[in-house]
Parts: sequence; structure tokens; C-alpha cells
Amino acid sequence: MPTPVLLENPLRQGLSSGRTAPPCSLVIYGASGDLTVRKLVPALFELYEKHLLPVSFNLIGISRSVISDEDFRKKLKDFLAKAKPQFSEAVWNSFSQNFHYIAGGYDDFKVYQALSARLDELDEKNGTMGNRIFYLSTPPNVFEVIISNLGAAGLAKEDKGFSRVVIEKPFGHDLESAKELNVKVREVFKEHQIYRIDHYLGKETVQNFLVMRFANSIFEPIWNRRHVDHIQITASEDLGVGTRAGYYESAGILRDMFQNHLFQVMCLIAMEPPVTFEANAIRDEKLKILQAIRPFDEHSVKHLAVRGQYGPGFLAGQKVPGYREEEGVNPKSNTPTYAAIKIFLDTWRWHGVPFLLRSAKRLPKRTTEAAIQFKEPPNLLFKNNLNTLTPNVLIIRIQPDEGITLKFDTKVPGMTMEGRTVNMDFRYGTSFAEGTSEAYERLLLDCMLGDATLFIRGDEAEAAWAALMPVIHHWETTEPETPFPNYEAGTWGPVEADNMLERPWRHWRKV
Amino acid sequence: MTSDPSAQDIERDLTGLWKPQGEIQASGLRRIYTTNLVAYASDHEDGYRVEGILGDVVQYHPGRYILVRPAADTTEAPLRYYVSGRCLSWSDPEKRVCCDMVKLVAQKEVIENLYGFVFSILVPDLPVEFWWPGDMPYYNSFFEHMAKQATRVWVDSAKFKDPIQSVGRLAAFWHNRYPRTTLADMNWIRIQRWQALLAELFDGDWAKYLKQIKQVTIEYGEGSTPLRSFYLAAWLAAQLGWRHHQPRLAAFTDRLVFQGPQGEIEVLLKPVPAPDDRADRIFAVGIMTEGESPALFTVVRDEDPHTVIARSEINHKLAFSRVVTFEHLHSDDVLAIGFKHYEADPVWKRTLQMMGTILIHPDMTLEQKKQD
Ligand SMILES: NC(=O)c1ccc[n+]([C@@H]2O[C@H](COP(=O)([O-])OP(=O)(O)OC[C@H]3O[C@@H](n4cnc5c(N)ncnc54)[C@H](OP(=O)(O)O)[C@@H]3O)[C@@H](O)[C@H]2O)c1
Repeated sequence: MPTPVLLENPLRQGLSSGRTAPPCSLVIYGASGDLTVRKLVPALFELYEKHLLPVSFNLIGISRSVISDEDFRKKLKDFLAKAKPQFSEAVWNSFSQNFHYIAGGYDDFKVYQALSARLDELDEKNGTMGNRIFYLSTPPNVFEVIISNLGAAGLAKEDKGFSRVVIEKPFGHDLESAKELNVKVREVFKEHQIYRIDHYLGKETVQNFLVMRFANSIFEPIWNRRHVDHIQITASEDLGVGTRAGYYESAGILRDMFQNHLFQVMCLIAMEPPVTFEANAIRDEKLKILQAIRPFDEHSVKHLAVRGQYGPGFLAGQKVPGYREEEGVNPKSNTPTYAAIKIFLDTWRWHGVPFLLRSAKRLPKRTTEAAIQFKEPPNLLFKNNLNTLTPNVLIIRIQPDEGITLKFDTKVPGMTMEGRTVNMDFRYGTSFAEGTSEAYERLLLDCMLGDATLFIRGDEAEAAWAALMPVIHHWETTEPETPFPNYEAGTWGPVEADNMLERPWRHWRKV
Repeated sequence: MTSDPSAQDIERDLTGLWKPQGEIQASGLRRIYTTNLVAYASDHEDGYRVEGILGDVVQYHPGRYILVRPAADTTEAPLRYYVSGRCLSWSDPEKRVCCDMVKLVAQKEVIENLYGFVFSILVPDLPVEFWWPGDMPYYNSFFEHMAKQATRVWVDSAKFKDPIQSVGRLAAFWHNRYPRTTLADMNWIRIQRWQALLAELFDGDWAKYLKQIKQVTIEYGEGSTPLRSFYLAAWLAAQLGWRHHQPRLAAFTDRLVFQGPQGEIEVLLKPVPAPDDRADRIFAVGIMTEGESPALFTVVRDEDPHTVIARSEINHKLAFSRVVTFEHLHSDDVLAIGFKHYEADPVWKRTLQMMGTILIHPDMTLEQKKQD
């Protein structure tokens, strides 16, 4: 692997913008799409404003839609001008001066040859030193054709500078297709050149799991089966399927949320301390967790996984349609929009501790959090208070309102020995001046810097699929246990999910 | 307000501030302390200014803020205190965050020994930022004790009435006298944006031009002292291995000469007309190189006060040009940025040492002067 181009620039030393990316060109496939306009270019603009984008930077957008360079820039600008309160035209013009657009089919080899020539020319003109990133922001059905053409055009070679490929989610539709995609990508790119995105990992609080666990000494001693009763990871959305019905009908909640985001959060909570803070050391530990998921079988899946689909209901006082009434959805669809899964990790540390993972659409509120529920004290002295004292919970909120809360019991002032549970709260927004950055900002910058820590390695993607496939398979080949829809939009999901908790003191958190 | 107050009185009043009352109790307010900040104001008027700035900084770094200022009148009580609460985000009851401010108004001679009292009302286990807005004293008991106990001392060299003397002192004795306290200068934070703009001109292939620099021109507002420009020159020198072999300066000049690996480097400091309220700013920096392909790198304030233009010409041909946002930083912004990082900044330390080789300072003994 060639060493990333280091900036021998002594003036950079000590500056808070010390993580500035090296000169490079970013090629976005599927640039006419939503992600480019709403997320990627705004993230790049933020990096530019923070002086983290190199002076020598080119962006080339490629997709089939025939639009001029001018129109491409205008579309990007129009979005930002509306989204950013203090938008400066002059700054935008300067930022976008090296933005170009190539219209062409993803399977047309001539487009790749033209791209290669254009990149060489831009390297020469703008000093981008042969460093390239190819960002696949298309639907996954064209990933393979783009990658093999990049290979054939010699664009994956790293003879002049680095060449990296960023692959958007979903990485495969199931285990087989993920394996196949891995084979195809690795025929062209080496693993160190491949950046599989899971934008959850770009979120500040997700990264904070690592700092919280491994920079503090008070959590690690109790972070195990002796002290933890169970762990709940929740990603709830109030929105319905919206305009994504086409994708969602074939994906469902497990592919959309579990295989990637929820499993990644679980890994960061459950993993052993890595030996170093380097990408592969961390990914090795995450992989071990995915491999330790106790396999589901035909029998266990029935009581360890609960599925649901929303029917009509009310959200914020407004009537909303059921999933089957949404545009583009089969009126008899059995696609799950709710899933709750109980996972056991067969590791020394977590033996017998259930990890309760839950995600759904059309729940009362949009929240993502992980809650570590600790055991009750061994001898409950305050028996009169059984209803007001609760076991400790450490809650790590990922969105919105990122922060950490610790619930603990305390005495109510007065003559009686009365206890009550209170919250100790830490909020990012109020304790740090700097707002948290958008996930894509961090991930794009890391990729330019060659830091793959927050990206998924190929074996991780496969292990996650392998663990989930029995549930997916069972759900796709059997009728729901209770006919869909089985929960009303705006409620906390099907009642069956409560039964899987098994212990009277365990409740799904009303997040 | 009482006379002869004790730390317990203050703590009691602070606790009283946060006793749940009516609606506030229902909505649950949070007290958050991320830091202690002790600020000194030289008089009544300065007190108002400093208090206003603290009120803004608190939005970014909730904490216990203590303002110390001399009484306006010798007939006033030796020491009086005022406590007040600061709450943010009132619009969102879920996020109401509160912290507090203590104002200590004392007779000058009481202030001399007020440090112990100040220590007793700090929130334990949190960093202590000490903000001293004036010139560097040679000896002042309050400053001396605070500087030794604080985590970090903030000065603002832009506000020094005698910048050569004060910066000279900082460079000469800070690290010996207060080895455990980080020194920070608000002026340095303001300059860091110029540093970032200049640094990014030399990334990648362009780094090679750093070794060929022959002349640097820094434009600053007419009528102001070019201290910030001197800092910028000292930073370039410290980072690029240049030395100042000329005699130390007792007054600002319009030309500095450094010796670098490539030979002599000239730094020209050029006053340009500027409105009074902006005179202390840097307006443009130009860096010229010599060699096979001469290059010129410039960063210039645009007509639009919110942007600057960075460009480079190699062999008299435009290599690139870009416009970036450049918002003016007020004192509260500067402190809010500064409080984010706790690590000592080695580049600032080196730059200050370099300033020490450029400026003379009044406490040098004849011996030292002779040795130089
Ligand atoms: N949008 C998000 O917030 C988001 C979040 C996470 C992940 N992602 C992932 O990021 C990728 C891009 O997202 P997006 O929302 O930008 O997608 P998109 O708008 O649906 O697609 C991007 C571009 O791909 C091309 N395209 C669409 N359908 C195609 C097809 N069947 N065959 C070939 N090309 C096709 C289109 O360009 P042309 O027709 O001009 O070629 C389209 O503009 C997807 O893989 C998505 O899953 C998106």
C-alpha cells in the first residue's frame, strides 16, 4: 500500500485544521441523485469552509442524465443556497470552480477512458497528484459494472497516487450477493482501497462509544454479564416509507437498519478493547462480535424475533396511512416495518446478556439510542420503595440531541427514607461549543486521509449478513404470526414484542 | 449584597438561586459547569465590557464565572459580591441549561490578596481559566497567585497599552516563572485564521516554495501598532527555521530581516488606510519566492468584509484563486474558540520565543543585554 501523500508543510503544524485532506479528485457516480445534492456536496462545502478540503481538489460527477457542467453546479448551488442561512455566492463560485460533470452510461467503457484522460489533465492543471476517490452513489445494481470498468480503464492502480472506492449502502441484498460483490470489488481493488460506508459510524456519538468505554476507567469494570442485565438498542422513526417504497418493499426493516447500523452500534458496545486505535485493530474486534452472535435457527427465531407492519394511525395529531396504503406499496405486502430481535453473544464477557435490538417506522418519535440496563443491587434494603427505585441505566443517545444520561436512585429530602430515580445528563449541544458535524463530512474527510476506521471491512459485512440471514429467510418464507398490519402508526409497535423480554423487570424503553 | 462576606455566604446564595420555583421546577432545569473562569477588570467601565463578554462566552462554555474588579470609590465596602444565574435555551424547556456568575467588587488593596477567596469559590475538579485583560505586570500579587494556580492564563496582546514591553516580558519569563500554567493570547487565536489561509497555499506540491521565500509583505491598518503582523512574521520564522540576528527592537519598525537556509528574508510591514474600528487588523499578506519559477502567494481581504481571496501565481501565471469566508471574531468568539482546546500549543510557544529574539523587554539586566 503506498503511503498516503503526506503534506510536508511546516505551516500546517499545530493548526486546528491539521486534518486537512491531501490534494485529490473525487469522482461521484450517480451524481444526478439525491444523496449527492443533499448530503455529499453540502458536506464537502462544510469541509471547504473549515479549511479541511485541500486547495487542489476536483469533483467530477458522472451519471446518465444529460446535463451541462453549468446546470450540474446550479442544481448543487440551489440546494445549498436554500439550506444554508449565510450562503455566499462568491465562496460557492470559488468552491465549485473545479466541479465538472460527465454524462454517460455506467457500462460505456468510453466514458471511463474519457474520465481517465480528464483526471490526468486535472492532475496536471490543479496539482491533484494522481490521488483519486471513486464514490458509488448509485443504486447497487450498477456497483459491479462501474467497478469492473474502473479496473479495465486502469483507474484502480495506485502508481501515481492513491485510488479508493467508496461503496454506499446497501452492501449486498443478502449473504450471497454480499459475498459476490466482495469478490467483484476485490478483483479490482485491494481491501485497503475499499471504503464501505455506514453513515451511522460517522456520527459523533457513535464514535463516542469508543472514547467513553476506553478513555474512562469507571465503565469497563462493570461492562459485562456480572453487572449488566440487558442492553437495548433502539432506532425509531416517526416517518413512514415516504418516497422509498420501491426500495423498501424489497429490503424491509432488517436489511435497511439491522444488518448495518444497529449491528455496528452493537459491535461498538460489545467489543473488547482493541490493541491499538487503528482501523484494522478496531475492525478485528467488531468482527469477533458479529461472529459471536448465537445463530438463529427455525425454532429460536420464532421467539427471539418479532416483526410488525404499521397500519393507519395518528402522528402529531394528523391521520397517517398504513404501510399498505402508501404509494408504490403492494396492498397485500408483508414487508416488515418493525423488528425487534433478541441477540445473545457467545463470548465470555456477554454470556447470557440479551441484546435487544429494535427499529421501526411510524413509532411516536424519531430517536436512536443505546441503553445499558444494569442489574438490581443484590440486597434491596429499601423494600418500601420498590416502585420508585429502578436499576441503573446508562443511556447513550445518538440522535437527536446527542448525549449521555445516567439514571440512578437517590433519597427524596425529608424525614422518611423515600427514594427516587433521577437523571444525570450530559448533552453534547450544551457542553461543547462546537456543534456535531454531519456524518458525511467526517466520512469523506477520513476517506481522503486514508483512515478506514469508520468504514466496514468486507468480512464484517459478510458476518453481519450471515447472522441475520436465518431471520430474513424465516420471515420471507412464512406468514406473519399475527396478520399485518399489527401495530397502529404512532404507537410503540406490536404487543408481541413485550413477550420476548421474559423477565418482569424488563420493559422496552419508551424512548 | 453584604459586607465581609465569606465563601459560605456565596455558596448559600448560589444554592438559593437554584431552589426550584413554580414553573421552572416543573420543566427541570440543568446546571452545567464545564469550566471555571476568573476574569479581572481594571475599572468600572472595563467591568461592564468584560461582563458583557462573559455573558456571551457562557453560551458556549457553561461554567462558574467569577469577575473581579476594583471598587470605584474608596468609601465603598472592602469587598462586596453579587451572584446571578445564567440560563440558556429558554425557548426549549427540555434543554434549559443554567450556570452562575459571581461578581466581586473590592478595594484595590483587598484585591491584592483576594486570590484565596477566589480559589474557595471555584467549582472543584474543573479547569480554571484566568483572563487578565490588561498589560503584563512585572509583579502583582493577585496576578501572580492566580497565574500559578490557574490551568491557563488568557491575555489579549491586542489590548496591551505597551505591547513591546508586555510581549517582551511574556517571551522572557513566562515559562520560567509559571512552568505549570499554560499561557494563551487571544491575539494568537485571531491570527490563527491567517495562518490557516497561508498554510493551505503550501500543501502538496507547493510546499517546495516555502524553502524559496525571499520576501513577505504584511499590510496592517494605519495608526495601529503592527503587533499582529509581528506575530505572523515570527510564526513564519519559527516554523520555517529562520533566525533573527539583528539587534532586538525597542520600537516597531517597518522592516524585519531574518536569516533562513535560503539566505536573507525580508519582511515588510506596510500600513494601509483603514477605518478606526478595524485598524488593528491584518489586511493582506504577500509571499514572494525566488528560484527557477518565481511565485507569489497572496491572501487579501475582499471588498466583502466576510470573505478573503487566496491566490497564487507561478511564473507570473495564475495557479489558483479561491474565496473563503472570513468572519470577524469578537472577543467572546475568541475565548469560546480558545476554551475548546486544553493542550498547550507548541507552535505558539515557539512563536513567542521568536518574538523574544525580536523585541527587547524592560526587565533585562545589563548582563543579559551584554550577552546578546
Ligand atoms: N439519499 C440518502 O439519504 C441515502 C442514505 C444512505 C444511503 N444511500 C445510498 O446512496 C446511494 C445513492 O442514493 P440516492 O438517494 O442519491 O439514489 P438515487 O437518487 O436513487 O440514485 C442516484 C443516481 O443513480 C442513477 N440511477 C438511479 N436508478 C438507477 C438504475 N436503476 N440504474 C442505474 N442508475 C440508476 C440516477 O442517475 P442517472 O439516471 O442520471 O444515471 C440517480 O440520479 C444509494 O445506493 C442509496 O442506497 C442514500
